[in-house]
Amino acid sequence: MTRSKKFRTGPIIPPEAAPLRALTVTMTVMCYLACLAIGALILIDRAVESWTSGLSREVTVQVRLMQNADNDKELAKAKVLLETTVGVTNVEVLEREAGAKLLEPWLGTGNLDDLPIPRLIRVTINETAPPDFVALDKQLKKSVSGASLDTHRRWEAELTRMARALSTLSYAILALIAISAIAMVIFATRTVLDANRQVIDVLHLVGAKDSYIAHQIDSRFLRTGFTAGLLGVGLGVLTFFLLGLSGTMGAGGVADASRGLLFAPPEIAVWSYGILFSVPIIATVICLVTSRMALIRMLRSVL
Amino acid sequence: MVRLDSVGLRYGDGPEILKDVSFYLQPGSLCFLTGPSGAGKTSLLRLLFLALKPTRGLIRIFDKDVSQVSRWELPLLRRRIGVVFQEFRLLDHLTTFDNVALPLRVMGQREDSYRADVMDLLKWVGLEDQAQAYPPVLSGGEKQRAAIARAVISKPELLLADEPTGNVDPVLAKRLLHLFMELNRLGTTVFLATHDLKLVSQGKGSVLHLEKGILKAA
Repeated sequence: MTRSKKFRTGPIIPPEAAPLRALTVTMTVMCYLACLAIGALILIDRAVESWTSGLSREVTVQVRLMQNADNDKELAKAKVLLETTVGVTNVEVLEREAGAKLLEPWLGTGNLDDLPIPRLIRVTINETAPPDFVALDKQLKKSVSGASLDTHRRWEAELTRMARALSTLSYAILALIAISAIAMVIFATRTVLDANRQVIDVLHLVGAKDSYIAHQIDSRFLRTGFTAGLLGVGLGVLTFFLLGLSGTMGAGGVADASRGLLFAPPEIAVWSYGILFSVPIIATVICLVTSRMALIRMLRSVL
Repeated sequence: MVRLDSVGLRYGDGPEILKDVSFYLQPGSLCFLTGPSGAGKTSLLRLLFLALKPTRGLIRIFDKDVSQVSRWELPLLRRRIGVVFQEFRLLDHLTTFDNVALPLRVMGQREDSYRADVMDLLKWVGLEDQAQAYPPVLSGGEKQRAAIARAVISKPELLLADEPTGNVDPVLAKRLLHLFMELNRLGTTVFLATHDLKLVSQGKGSVLHLEKGILKAA
């Protein structure tokens, strides 16, 4: 042996003692579940935005058919009134069939000619400067027989409440996943320390600082967190992809939602993928910070 | 260097292992601690290498009261102390070279900065050819020498050894004693715990005798 010979120094903590395979598997599952929860959050957020923007752009005027009234004349009066209202950008009187079609789920496709189906007027409004709905409703009721204004506000409020409940549920799931991950990392840290108790005693007695010993161990947790995070996201994206393939295009449901998540326009996709791929980073940070804090705390209990 | 005043030690609620132990080690001195098995020699050494805290009494090492030493200061004090454990406590997953270099490595030194020093020391203790061998394949004497090399590689001011010749034949025991005396001649304070009275008679140092936890000057 010569002095110039290069030695390869071995790892101070033996890699085969208490391997972190079990933690990698469980962290992967946690990251996968986190991806699904994040995917659900993104889809809920986008759906709510789409519903509410559609609803807030439009209002509907309903003109009920009244006996002893010229309904076509009333309809025309309503149209004129709406067209002259400040904040209204477009007025479209829907055909009688449109109203009948809306009632189809309840009344079927039979002959509805004898029924007094209300006529509907779709009113597009200026979102930035909408009309005074209270005044418009009063004006309509005063001037047009059988008219009423539906601003969809109640429906929009219901949707928003439901979406908020789902979002809160998703956040709660994410919080539970994070807490479980932290608990698992603490448990794994204790296992690694117990398995290497002799090594750690020797390191202490030759003058190693707690931070030095912790660094020898937490670098493994860093790798574990990152690997599990990438695997979890990979599985999550694969799941959305397979769900996207499982249904026909435009049929709605989970399949369409999954396709919408994966193949969104670039400005939305950047956000979606950005949030999904934050999972490995968060998993790495959880593993690293938790194991470091647990290690320092546990090492301090050893003289 | 080291001062103990009325030190007592007990494990949990058990009997007192050390009773009113008091002594002073001069810097650069060589001292033997003798006594039969179970007298408390290892416990006394564990107090000195700061692996235990006394139940009562005062221990000052390098002019520091060990009861006042903070967690942050503890490694810095331990780096000034070399320890040879009775059971060697080499790390089986590291080569002899890595085991010997461990105190330097934990100080943050790079391998290329200490390689030559470690190889010189391994040569000095006769383990140059075993540098890349792992402890499980070393003989008892080789492990003992590797443990001694690890204890002295960082040039400690105080060297503590617990039965350093307990697992070797008389010839090797004599060689190891000469090694400790050489280190002492170079300025290291050496404190050896042994029940081998023949070894004590060959060394030129003061002797403390421990019996049933009570220290007596021999």
